[in-house]
Amino acid sequence: MTEQPAPAKLELLVRRDDDEDFELRQVASVVGYLNSRPRRVESYEISELRSRVAGSPGFVLKNTTTDRFLLLSAHERFLWDQMNGATSLQEIATAYVLQYGEFDFDIIPSLLRKLQRAQLLTFEPRSRLRQALARNRDRRIVKAIELALTALERIRIASTNVHGFFQRLYRYGGFLLFTPAAIVACVGLALVGAGAAVLLFREMHDVLEGFGGRAMLGIVTVKLLFFGSVALHQFAHGLACIHYRRRVREFGFTFLHGFVPTFYVDVTDIFMASRRARVVTAVTGALVHLVLGGVAFIVAAQAPAGSFTQAFAAASGIIQWQALVIALYPFCFIEMDGYHVLVDVLGVPTLKHDALAYVKGLLNGSARVRLGREEGLWVGYVVLSTLSVAAFIAFNVWIIVSATS
Amino acid sequence: MPASAATLAFLRDVRVFEAFADPDLAAVADRLRERALRRRQVLFREGDQGDEMFIVRQGTILISKAVTGKVEQVLVRVEPADFFGEMSLFDGSPRSATAQAETDVELLILGRENLQSLTETNPSAAAAFFYAMVQVFMERLRRSTQQVAEATRWGLEATGLDVETR
Repeated sequence: MTEQPAPAKLELLVRRDDDEDFELRQVASVVGYLNSRPRRVESYEISELRSRVAGSPGFVLKNTTTDRFLLLSAHERFLWDQMNGATSLQEIATAYVLQYGEFDFDIIPSLLRKLQRAQLLTFEPRSRLRQALARNRDRRIVKAIELALTALERIRIASTNVHGFFQRLYRYGGFLLFTPAAIVACVGLALVGAGAAVLLFREMHDVLEGFGGRAMLGIVTVKLLFFGSVALHQFAHGLACIHYRRRVREFGFTFLHGFVPTFYVDVTDIFMASRRARVVTAVTGALVHLVLGGVAFIVAAQAPAGSFTQAFAAASGIIQWQALVIALYPFCFIEMDGYHVLVDVLGVPTLKHDALAYVKGLLNGSARVRLGREEGLWVGYVVLSTLSVAAFIAFNVWIIVSATS
Repeated sequence: MPASAATLAFLRDVRVFEAFADPDLAAVADRLRERALRRRQVLFREGDQGDEMFIVRQGTILISKAVTGKVEQVLVRVEPADFFGEMSLFDGSPRSATAQAETDVELLILGRENLQSLTETNPSAAAAFFYAMVQVFMERLRRSTQQVAEATRWGLEATGLDVETR
């Protein structure tokens, strides 16, 4: 038997701005594979094939240009629907697990082979934004944006050897977070914190006056402290993953989308656990903000009226609870914890993508209005998300205006 | 200035000088210049003019070729007792790749004029040099072919392209 060769690797030298400085990167072919975005061809027809013998339906896929036919299972049909040129193979695999609760390691490569043979597939580059920026590099502003994004994307501090650390963290106290006593304490703090917040809200103007002439400095410091709580949020996700005996693959710091600084933890192994485990893992991180916000409001309520401490604690409480809402509220165009719970429960892993594509089609006239359940879900998602984002921005503007006026 | 015993001992390990007799090696060593590079210093860039070849005495040199934007593919790491830049030595063509110090580096430099004078004054040494050089060229050609195959394999694996059954 011939031994399978190791994945091919390219060694690349990436120059920095000062021209002599550089970074060496080994890029394995598997990285390219996971980031590739297969796109189905435009000219195809698909129809259901009901069988009296087989329990589940099959599908016949026809390339109308070449007149070649292909038989797909329901699972393959699902994968075919994801191959829109915008979704990477890694995302498609995640969607598959969310949809079917299991993963077949052969199904995607074998389907790709079948589709390529039938000339039903093309591949798209990794990022359309980066492609557009590269095309317009001769414009100074575009080049500056591209350089800034590249520089930020390079900043990634991560370790893939963290599972043992999280196991120890769980063993030496982390397990307490998953006991009934922790739930009672969490609810208690939230209720007392909410009571304190209501009291403070009635005198919000006086409370925020505690910043005095240092309002912006206060708000910036509160934001920086909040950044630390994002790390705690990720720790909680990791501990939940350990609680369900799954593996924490990675923990680190990076710039999300090239410009949002954030900590992250890779708990994708939880996809192999039960839905309950997935929901608990998603929600646990957000509860960190509930607890910290509750504590902050209690401190603010106990602090001398109009003091800097009171203003600082109240602002921290507001930001923590905002983070709680953003993390758990699924309608804000951001794929946070609540969104993942929603798509898991609904069984529509590509909700945001499909909703945006449909509404965009309605707006530019390329899609027709339909009155199905799916279309209702898509329109509802976009409308709710738009209103929510507008309300969120208005609330923050009001907070800043109140604090600075 | 006569070359030091250390330089002569080092040149014994350099592939293209292996067949040299002691007096011939001393004659070559006298023609070599020395140069030091600090870590990350660029020696020459792709497209630069050049007529010298370099022997790495200490440190590592990265030879890379531009692929796109600020990204270059690393073709080879040149370790001590190995050499590079010989293509421009022979044909005077622009540099086909960029050479940059990965660490602090010490180089010995052989210029085209020195090679010509070696050919005139010591034809037997020059013949040994050219014979060894041809062998090295063949090895590098094989390695380049291997690199092309590896890059092609990378592309096929990265896209999952099925060409066996198409």
